[in-house]
Amino acid sequence: MSIKGIVVSSGVAFGQALHLNLHHEKIDYRRLPTAQIADEQRKLTQAFNKQKCHLEEGLAKLEVGSDHYDLIEADILFLDDESLLELVLAEVEQLQINAAVAIERVFALQASELEQLDDPYLANRAQDVLCLGSRLIARLSGAQHLDLSQLTQPTIILAHDLTPAEFAMLPLEHIAGLVLNTGGLTSHTAILARSAGLPALLSCQFTRTQIHNGDEVVLNGIDGELHLKPNAETFKKLTELRLQDEAHKQQLLLLKDLPTKTLDGHSVGLLANVGSLNEISHLTDVGAEGIGLFRTEFMLMNTTTIPSEKIQYHFYCDALHLMDGKPFTIRTLDVGADKELPCLNPACEDNPALGVRGIRYTFAHPEILITQLKAILRAANHGPIRLMFPMLNQVEELDTLFELIEQCKVSLNEEEKGFGQLSYGIVVETPAAVINLESMLPRLDFISIGTNDLTQYAMAADRTNPQLTRDYPSLSPAILTLIQMTIDSAQKHNVKVSLCGELASDPIVAPLLVGMGIDELSVNLASLLEVKSAIRASSHQVCLEMAKQAHKLKRIEELNLYLTGLNL
Amino acid sequence: MYQKTVTITAKHGIHTRPAALLVKKAKSFDCDILVECNGKQASAKSLFKLQTLGLYYGIEVKVIADGEQAEQAVEEVSELLITLS
Repeated sequence: MSIKGIVVSSGVAFGQALHLNLHHEKIDYRRLPTAQIADEQRKLTQAFNKQKCHLEEGLAKLEVGSDHYDLIEADILFLDDESLLELVLAEVEQLQINAAVAIERVFALQASELEQLDDPYLANRAQDVLCLGSRLIARLSGAQHLDLSQLTQPTIILAHDLTPAEFAMLPLEHIAGLVLNTGGLTSHTAILARSAGLPALLSCQFTRTQIHNGDEVVLNGIDGELHLKPNAETFKKLTELRLQDEAHKQQLLLLKDLPTKTLDGHSVGLLANVGSLNEISHLTDVGAEGIGLFRTEFMLMNTTTIPSEKIQYHFYCDALHLMDGKPFTIRTLDVGADKELPCLNPACEDNPALGVRGIRYTFAHPEILITQLKAILRAANHGPIRLMFPMLNQVEELDTLFELIEQCKVSLNEEEKGFGQLSYGIVVETPAAVINLESMLPRLDFISIGTNDLTQYAMAADRTNPQLTRDYPSLSPAILTLIQMTIDSAQKHNVKVSLCGELASDPIVAPLLVGMGIDELSVNLASLLEVKSAIRASSHQVCLEMAKQAHKLKRIEELNLYLTGLNL
Repeated sequence: MYQKTVTITAKHGIHTRPAALLVKKAKSFDCDILVECNGKQASAKSLFKLQTLGLYYGIEVKVIADGEQAEQAVEEVSELLITLS
């Protein structure tokens, strides 16, 4: 039997299952009898002390100054804070509530105060505070934190969620893999797992009754499956898969510093899609030549207010510093439909995918766009920035944008703030943009094809609707035609064409895109070396031939068969 | 009572790590040390309270101390506030 999950760090891992019970049971909100107050307060102090001891033990195992060291040390100082403990103790007494309820109240209040701060870095701390509170409540309900230092067998950790600090305390030498129920809080944990090379699955809905501690499990972090008690045949298959995967990864790493060129010397730009500073710091791990898509909406995910111009300016400057002169492509705020942000109070729409999203949203809220444009213009003084706008259909929208940019420059001049030159582009992601492209190209320095939305709008199939998976094929004759039209128009105007959709991350499709004339592919970090390997293994001549053949195929199935057949 | 006003120069503000350093420094003194910013006050010895002040880049902060070694405490804490990054 196997359970599906989302692979955030690939690889195949064998080991014994171990549940980390870090989560608390249901909280009892009933009024606390007066006689029990003292007892409850004693338990509370104990929980604080135990959690502190636990963290201190973890800290002792870490190197001073490492990333996680600071996080854990901060949690300890927090627990050490007498005014915090006093406040929680007082709540128990005054409101006659359980220790767990008092912790929940005090920590939630603290988190909401932090969230209101006009600084994403400080506001992000709210999540850590909530998590620490929930761990304290777990202590109260008697959940024992397992002592992982006794592990000797390769172990696959199963948990509801896991904070970066908790990840840091795992004895990685005995941990073979990580499986979590949630995604949420754990995105940073996913990045840590990836950089530690630890296979990990997220959003995997296992239950404690399905898997017991000590059960043999296999984490298939290639196909995204957790196998429970695999039979001999499955076990053998997975063992082979692991060997292949490990050999393959070694091979790929050798390509890190080699150019992205076909066998006959045709160069293609290979850049990365990222959404955080942390991801930028991992660009060199895979030898990315730059960033082809920086999603600015992720900067806003965890805040309740839009960061100020100054904060955004510093953020982009930090990113530029990490980029060290490499291409850095920023997409302006792209919200709406599947990307809702807590700080924007999105309107309820009957049809959000066809609603106020992308550039339409920022046109409707010009103050947000102006803040972002000014911050980016100022940052451009410190390094090269390519700026692109999402969801444009018409040249008039470009008029409006360039007018806004001029206004921003005027006001920056008035404020005596310096700014730099930008390269401008659009994300081509609606059929209208493809058709109208020639009217816009004379004013653009580059374009980037967003195939995810382009497919959704070409097929009129909501890509978040699970019933429509078949109506939303990632590769189809229609999308190939739209991409070819886009490339042909751009070439006529000598404008560089990039492709930043999921399609580019598919190593089977990448050579075809090269054959169609794409100048640059922008892919997720995890797929970058795969794509590079696929391009380096093809000749440009073959890529051109592939494009010619692919355009003749009118059935989706034929197209898929043709491309996978080439790779057999 | 001694006090001094300084401007935060840490690009990301006084978040977790620098705030923890600040608390450690403050705790090395016996006197009461307060940090005032945005019209809110917090003990420099309490990470929990300090966090909610929103000590971000470019903001002016007043450090106030009363008691033994108050002057030295104000000097050292404000020095730390402007050198943290």
